[in-house]
Amino acid sequence: MRAKKIKTIILVAVASILAVMFIMPLVWMIFTSFKTLGESMSSSALLPKNWTLINYINIFNGTSDAKMILWSLNTALVTALGTTLVIFVDVLAAYALARLNVAGKKLFLGIVVIALTIPGIVTLFPAFYLFRNFGLIDTYAPLILPYSAGTLGVFLIYNFLRSFPRELEEAAYIDGASQWQVLFKVIFPTIRPVVTTLGVITFLAIYNDYLWPSLVINSNEMKTLTLGVATLIQGSNFVNPGAMMASTVIATVPALLIFIWANKYFVKGVTNSGIK
Amino acid sequence: MYHSKSTKYKALLFIAPFLACFLIFWLAPVLYGIWISLNDYKLSMGNLGFVGLENYKTIFDTGSVYHTQFMNALKNTFVFMAISVPPLVLISLGLALLIDNLPSKLKVFFRTIFFLSYAISVTAVSAIFLWLFNANGGFVNNLLMTMNITNSPVNWLTEQPYAWFVVLISTVWWTIGFNMLLFVNALDEVDGALYEAADLDGANSFKKFLYVTLPEIRNVAFFVIITTVIASFNLYGQTMLITNGGPARSTTSLIMNINHTVFSGNQLGIGSAMAIVMGVIMTVVTGLQYWANLKINSDGPKRKRKGRSKKSEDPALVNAPLPYQVDGKETMKK
Amino acid sequence: MYKKKWGLVLATSVLAFSMAACGDDESEESTGSNGTTQIKFINGFTGGDGSYMTKIVDDFNESQDEFEVVQSQEPDHYTKFKSSQYDLVIMHESNLETYIQDQMIQPVSSFLEGAGLSEDEFHPAGLAASTVNDELYGFPLDIHPLTMFFNEEVVSEAPATYEDLVTLNNEAQSSDPNLYALGIPGSGLVEFYINMIAAQNDIDLEQDGYLNFAQEDFADALMIFHDMVFEDEISPAQLGLDGEFQTFMKNPEGGGKQAAIALTGPWYFQAAKEQYGDNLGIGSIPQIGDGTATAGNAHILAVPSNVQDGAVKEGVEAFLGFLYEPENLVNWAESGQTPTHLATLDLVSEDPETYELAAQNLEQLDDYVSMPHVYNYGEQMRYMNEIVFSKLVSEAGLTKEALMTELEMATEEARQFSGQ
Repeated sequence: MRAKKIKTIILVAVASILAVMFIMPLVWMIFTSFKTLGESMSSSALLPKNWTLINYINIFNGTSDAKMILWSLNTALVTALGTTLVIFVDVLAAYALARLNVAGKKLFLGIVVIALTIPGIVTLFPAFYLFRNFGLIDTYAPLILPYSAGTLGVFLIYNFLRSFPRELEEAAYIDGASQWQVLFKVIFPTIRPVVTTLGVITFLAIYNDYLWPSLVINSNEMKTLTLGVATLIQGSNFVNPGAMMASTVIATVPALLIFIWANKYFVKGVTNSGIK
Repeated sequence: MYHSKSTKYKALLFIAPFLACFLIFWLAPVLYGIWISLNDYKLSMGNLGFVGLENYKTIFDTGSVYHTQFMNALKNTFVFMAISVPPLVLISLGLALLIDNLPSKLKVFFRTIFFLSYAISVTAVSAIFLWLFNANGGFVNNLLMTMNITNSPVNWLTEQPYAWFVVLISTVWWTIGFNMLLFVNALDEVDGALYEAADLDGANSFKKFLYVTLPEIRNVAFFVIITTVIASFNLYGQTMLITNGGPARSTTSLIMNINHTVFSGNQLGIGSAMAIVMGVIMTVVTGLQYWANLKINSDGPKRKRKGRSKKSEDPALVNAPLPYQVDGKETMKK
Repeated sequence: MYKKKWGLVLATSVLAFSMAACGDDESEESTGSNGTTQIKFINGFTGGDGSYMTKIVDDFNESQDEFEVVQSQEPDHYTKFKSSQYDLVIMHESNLETYIQDQMIQPVSSFLEGAGLSEDEFHPAGLAASTVNDELYGFPLDIHPLTMFFNEEVVSEAPATYEDLVTLNNEAQSSDPNLYALGIPGSGLVEFYINMIAAQNDIDLEQDGYLNFAQEDFADALMIFHDMVFEDEISPAQLGLDGEFQTFMKNPEGGGKQAAIALTGPWYFQAAKEQYGDNLGIGSIPQIGDGTATAGNAHILAVPSNVQDGAVKEGVEAFLGFLYEPENLVNWAESGQTPTHLATLDLVSEDPETYELAAQNLEQLDDYVSMPHVYNYGEQMRYMNEIVFSKLVSEAGLTKEALMTELEMATEEARQFSGQ
């Protein structure tokens, strides 16, 4: 028992040291966001000598073009719908591939993997022309829909389901459950951690995307937070580490809250912990 | 039961939404992209006419500057793949194992910390590391010099192999949380009873990892390796923003080169051709991994059977209903 | 089942090729809701200078109700310009030839007339920057030359020659071994340095539409940057991206090497001012080569080819007429840019307090040497930017022969990118 305790203490200590190393760049980022332009460029000290809110003030109301609230609303809408869509289509497809008798399943799986290997630049402009031809430039459609074509989620969930025993679904069928019931009552709870993972990475992918939104969005009112903030601070001839870090802090906080909120879904519910 | 003909059509129904999205937003653009690669296509002027395989010839013509740049970028990308995949997979697995062995109250805390950096955009990640590793009075150099580890500043960004090191460390810091989370999920799936059985056999931690954990997380590990290789192959933002491809183009990646050809060079046709060649190379690399995975699967059935047999021999597992089963039944009755 | 699948593939192919068929033409009627004609204006003025241009645009929109200028400020404005239609675009001098050859922009003589302006209202340097093959392809907006900032606490008199720099360096080094005269960057602004040294040594890089770097004189000229780092040691070695400005911004407590002056872009003015306050000196760049000359880049207001006539043309002319009224354009000078419109320059020189940087930089206009106007300029320069220049400032043992070999490779790349 004592040996186990010592082992735990050592593990916690190691984890803490690693955590400090991981968190260091973030701490540096936060402190830099409170430095003046001159100081952020001239000194590499961790703490600001003169604390300033100027970087935040500039982003929120310094320039007339900053529409932070509107951009945040756009981002909320786009990420929520986009992520939901991805989870919906991916879970259904992965379930069918892993459990049902799909014609041409091997071919389909092959395509799913090959799709991962084709770089995005191939589809960037064709997809742009597609939306332009349908008159959907500068609307929410291109900000939401294209992410659903990603195959990573299907591949991810398929891999989890594959290693998961079928016995319990079979038992459910014996009990007379329908396919949909099995999907929602048996499959979904068991793959919830991995669906949460998919949800979080999809959310972050949409949230942090810059290149695609910058191509399909023209008006200031339709910008996402990432695009809008980038427009404010990324001049080709302008470098301000403090402003950059401040914008990152602002952009990261919502993502962080989502992640902390999603935390409880990352691990399986009570059912599993009972056996451990 | 679920192999009947009616479920066959049902299966299609399940796949249909994804298929529709995939065809419209991926396959159609890719086909169009292939068509573009067969044309003299300028970003600004549009299509200047069909040229057949001319763009591909340009990429493989040794006298062409596009060839030189493409091959250099390909080489750099493979270098990065070689140096980044092992740490990205192994460190994330190590972190996941560490977290798995922590008291459950602390699990959530550390899992959050190690995942935090994944939430940051590449622009910001790059800005952070660019300033941390600034050779002239940057944070890291100052730290190293005050601790007397080095007495002259290290040229992190303008000299090799330091430049690769910075790119690597920023990538590890940025993306490790994703792999770690997948491993944490997978370790969570491993049945506790298996460990207990191994304990009864008197297995030490390493043996438990080798004979219990590893076989159980195989599928996920394979997934992690494949996606990490693909992600490393797609290296772009970090080298673009931290080293700007330097020193002397030694960190210019394939995607960087392709994007440059399209955006600055205006050559959408040549750029698309490069991207398709890159996709083909990547498909071959992934295919090799699949083949290797299959080979390991068929070569090592003994170990696998051993793991499985342990599971079925355990009386507690054979006789008692699986906990999920109980749960599933109960919830369905409602 | 398989029939179905092939049906889908077929449908997708049809979709793909329908995109191909109508992917190129796009026409949008640009009329606002209340009958005003919209003028779509795109520029890359994000960051500091954007709000000054926005003020001019807003003032114009308020001054009349026939036209409305809709401005887009985008970090990647060239990509947007290539993929959508606009009525007015900001070009850099370096990109002018490329966009002319790609038929994206048109000559502007008739627009100039329509706006009630004439060529002699502009500074010759601005006109030269906007002219290709004796044809004016844009309205000269400003020139942003390589600019010298210096720390007045260390530098008593702005250095004017190479010898001055050496003297300054000796003084600086004797007071603090970490203090240098200046910093030569490894990448970033090096294109300005390359053009500057070519201009000062009277070397014409352009030859048959491409940049010929493989000239003995040019190799000699470039070696001076190598000497500045490794022989006279007036700059630290191995400075990376934006090294010239970062060394200038370092302060002694921060650690690292500092520079007393910076030869850099005028857009860093705000940052430098914040750091040095009243101790910030601004001057013309010193003579490093054989003669005095400066290089840089210019902003030009160009008119896309799709603007033909009618209301949009009138709107563009009306806006440009408004923009070139000195009391409007002087806003642009306030951002730190140096306008090339003579009447506006008069306003600037009357009030050097308000227009500190522009007032100083207008003295450099007479020495400004236009950059080579070649197709794909950025691509042609790339080998120099990415490889040659960083070798100059990081390889102590670099010989002129080794440099020539590199310059030949740079020239070969440039030749291929020129399309010649």
